[in-house]
Amino acid sequence: MNILDIRNLTIELETDAGLVRVLDRFSLQLAEGEIHTLVGESGSGKSLLAKAILGFINPKWKITADRLWWRQYDLLNLNPAARRIITGRDMAMIFQDPSSYLDPNDKVGAQLRESIPRGELSGIYLKRRADRQTRAERLLHRVGIKNTEEVMDAYPHELSEGLAQKISIAMAIAHNPKLLIADEPTTAMEPNTRAQIYRLLTKLSASQGMSILMITQDLTAVIPESKQMSLIYCGQLMETGPTEQLMSTPAHPYTEAMLNMSLYHQQSEPKSRLPTLTGAIPTLQHMPIGCRLGPRCPYARKACVQQPALRKIKSQQFACHYPLRDGDDHE
Amino acid sequence: MSKLLEVRNISKYYTHKDGWLPGRRICALEPLSFSLERGETLAIMGETGSGKSTIAKIIAGAEKPSSGELFINGQALDKMADQQRCRYVRMIFQDSLRSLNPQITVGKQLLEPLLFNHDGRSLEERKKRVFETLRKVGLLPEHYHFYPHMLSSGQQQRVCIARAIVLEPQIIVADEAFAALDPSIRAQIINLILDLQQDMGISFIFVTHSPEIVKHVSDKILIMHRGKMIEFGTTQALITDPQESLTATLLQADNNYKVPLHSTTKE
Repeated sequence: MNILDIRNLTIELETDAGLVRVLDRFSLQLAEGEIHTLVGESGSGKSLLAKAILGFINPKWKITADRLWWRQYDLLNLNPAARRIITGRDMAMIFQDPSSYLDPNDKVGAQLRESIPRGELSGIYLKRRADRQTRAERLLHRVGIKNTEEVMDAYPHELSEGLAQKISIAMAIAHNPKLLIADEPTTAMEPNTRAQIYRLLTKLSASQGMSILMITQDLTAVIPESKQMSLIYCGQLMETGPTEQLMSTPAHPYTEAMLNMSLYHQQSEPKSRLPTLTGAIPTLQHMPIGCRLGPRCPYARKACVQQPALRKIKSQQFACHYPLRDGDDHE
Repeated sequence: MSKLLEVRNISKYYTHKDGWLPGRRICALEPLSFSLERGETLAIMGETGSGKSTIAKIIAGAEKPSSGELFINGQALDKMADQQRCRYVRMIFQDSLRSLNPQITVGKQLLEPLLFNHDGRSLEERKKRVFETLRKVGLLPEHYHFYPHMLSSGQQQRVCIARAIVLEPQIIVADEAFAALDPSIRAQIINLILDLQQDMGISFIFVTHSPEIVKHVSDKILIMHRGKMIEFGTTQALITDPQESLTATLLQADNNYKVPLHSTTKE
């Protein structure tokens, strides 16, 4: 059962140069308790997607979609107040560079206590206060922090990046959300800390049935527990499907290029030239028509100026006129 | 034939200037020695605060070592004047936009290092050199008149590399130069660096924590832990037969998420 169902979500921004389509007919389905990784380079609109789901919407954006459903609610047709209640109850988000998202003026403990929803506490003032404290401590235990007193008494700048990310995860899970959106949670972290954060997230997902939408830049950051994966380039969905299948038999040239470029299989000879996509990521004002990968794609042909429709082979969906694998010659 | 770079017993201490016991020393880098041949690539890996950036800065001359000596082609590097030194060793930084001067054009930025080391060259000759360098890093002569913010992040990193190679150095130190780049741009920059190494015989010293890149580009790896060098050897040797468990963890690409959850707490 899909709890999040997005069909043909389009986001357009009003700029001086007219309407710019930053997310082009994007679709995503997320099942309960599933970890879905969304891979995209900068400017691909992946953070904007997260904002659209959560409803942090600028009035200048034009959002249209065939479906943007969260469980039984149609998020786009809900009034803002109702939407806010649902989002606040069911969803949470963690960000890149966590220490900058914590309030530098307040101690970690105070910020953590603040994130505990008031409705879940009962009793008179003193009892509520004590409850808050114990619940904050329990949250820290849940994210794997043992020396709770020391951490709660610290200011954000005193914490290491990994620890700050754990605090922000603790704050995010304070109200037991059903969906956690992690926007590049481990970029610029060293491998050990990164590994800890991933383990923590997978553990939370497994123990509480929390769905996680993991947004990342790099294929090497895709964790094995993430069974589904989507690749997005300049706002267009390139390929989506089961992670293993995409890694072993990519159908879209972009997936193949990303696998080679991030040295995922590590098959290439050391010091050999890496296969790259030529050119740079186009700017928003100068998006190519049709398939936006076109100018950089090694297999591009004349038909690529028409945007390809999404095709499906064995639960693997891709948008390409000339895919690297076809349904017939496989298995 | 002497080694290109020889590092002998380099160490770095910081001293407390106040408090009850002024003069108390904090050790950032314990004495370490290693050497590097011409055209080789060294990768320095380690956890945060292990002193890997300190080594890079000392080699590039951004910091003075507390003890020890550096030799390049048998000459003492730390006795040289900065003007002479920067012809041998140059540095590239992580955030390319912030390491470029936003107020002057790319061309002027590249002329500046030549101003210190012009060898009596005229402005015309220096400009010619800048155009040549721009072409080498895959930029166009038109980019001479661009300001840094007008370029994409990949092009900015190319300008930084151009600024490093304009003096034709023998060693380039790159401190996390790839971390902030998109995968497709990163692959292009890695290719550029490999090409430059082949054409100009430059040695590179990378500070990084991406095992994939290290395995692809480096000849030797140096592993740091809490200011100590715990392992140094060829890439092949360290991958196939790591002596320390940390080496194995740092070089493990695929399942490195399996480390214990509680391994580090407040630092």
